[in-house]
Amino acid sequence: MARLAAGDRDALEPLMGRHYKRVYRIALGYLRNPEDALDVVQETFVRAFAHAARWDGAAEVAPWLARIAVNQSIDRYRRNRRRRESFSPLEEGDHQESLKAPDISPERRTLSEELGDRIARAVQGLPETQRAVFVLRHYEEMSLPEIAASLGLRLGTVKSSLHRAVHRLRERLSGLPAGRA
Amino acid sequence: MILEHLRLRRSVTLLATGALPGKEAAAARAHVERCPRCRADHDEVVALMARLGEDPVRGAEPDMPLPVLVALVNARVERTLTGPKAVWGWRLVSLPAAAAAALAAWFLVPPVVYHFRPELDPARRAPAVAAQAAVVSEGALLRLERNVAREQAVLYLAEAQDVLVNVAASPRDCERTEPPAREARVDLEAESRRSRELLARRTLLVEADEAAVLSARPVLDDVDQMLREVATLESCARARDLARLREEMDKRNLLMKMRLMQRELAG
Repeated sequence: MARLAAGDRDALEPLMGRHYKRVYRIALGYLRNPEDALDVVQETFVRAFAHAARWDGAAEVAPWLARIAVNQSIDRYRRNRRRRESFSPLEEGDHQESLKAPDISPERRTLSEELGDRIARAVQGLPETQRAVFVLRHYEEMSLPEIAASLGLRLGTVKSSLHRAVHRLRERLSGLPAGRA
Repeated sequence: MILEHLRLRRSVTLLATGALPGKEAAAARAHVERCPRCRADHDEVVALMARLGEDPVRGAEPDMPLPVLVALVNARVERTLTGPKAVWGWRLVSLPAAAAAALAAWFLVPPVVYHFRPELDPARRAPAVAAQAAVVSEGALLRLERNVAREQAVLYLAEAQDVLVNVAASPRDCERTEPPAREARVDLEAESRRSRELLARRTLLVEADEAAVLSARPVLDDVDQMLREVATLESCARARDLARLREEMDKRNLLMKMRLMQRELAG
């Protein structure tokens, strides 16, 4: 990071090598779209380069990158939503419909794809903060204090957000078929 | 008691997700063993988390080799370094200014937005703006304006909800009084500060388009009043003042109304 802060672009590759999969999973968990997630990965590291001088040398890099990735994911999500609204003006009300995956015959769809689709719709229906907290906890298994540090939230807010997110997911995923195991 | 149940429900949920640290986990576990209702809740969340654990995203990896990604990032960095400085400056503008700028952009350049890609050279976008500016209908402008106003109101309510849930849960005992206070006091410094900040931003957040959030007005008024009360509390507030606020929130069903209104505004 110190090399990056000094403008050394060669420092990008080792930094990306250590963190890009993690950043990708955060973005994919939030956006549920591989192309958008890859774009967020790129933008996250561009911003890390641009703002490296502001990085507090004592802080962990991973939470700092997680924060950038979440902010970028939120920006991307809002931009996608505005684009959908702008070009589908008749789609008032339940915009969750527009998040549905295209219809594929049941024979072609594996159980995990179907499960992934349902989870995707449920996660995308969460408010931004709840979704960010849930994604960092569930996909990256970050501790609550780490999430609080990454998102700049109070620990109490993180706890409340995770609690509300889980209960909202429980409502939306009721009737989910039992596990394969 | 409703508020105590709220606190316990949260701990039980966090226990079931595996997020609760040792000491808190032990306390929550002991409660789950004694309370059948909480045990049922706990077991349901454990089952849900097991299903969520099968989400393919958890083990997902980028479908692009690292060297390609590095090259793409380097190309973007290059464009940033050689492009206009404004690219990095836009995030520094205030939220209302950013919202206004976004609105203006939506009003004036929909074809550009449609073709928008982050890497698009600004110099190539400029001519399209002038050529297509006249095609946006009045109805579309109003719809976009209304959507932005509603999003702002949802944001305001979500932040206010965070503050009020923290107030309603269990703030820590205040240990800053010197000499020690004669009656119980609780630490509301952060909530009080956040309430003041929210109220200061409220005009910009919510009142840009009053008509768009007309249905939310009674809830917003209640929220404002409650935030004002929290904002005027001392940082080491008397526990009985806090109890009065909680009673008032319970009486008005404020947290529930806030949740419902956020859903309604978000569509």
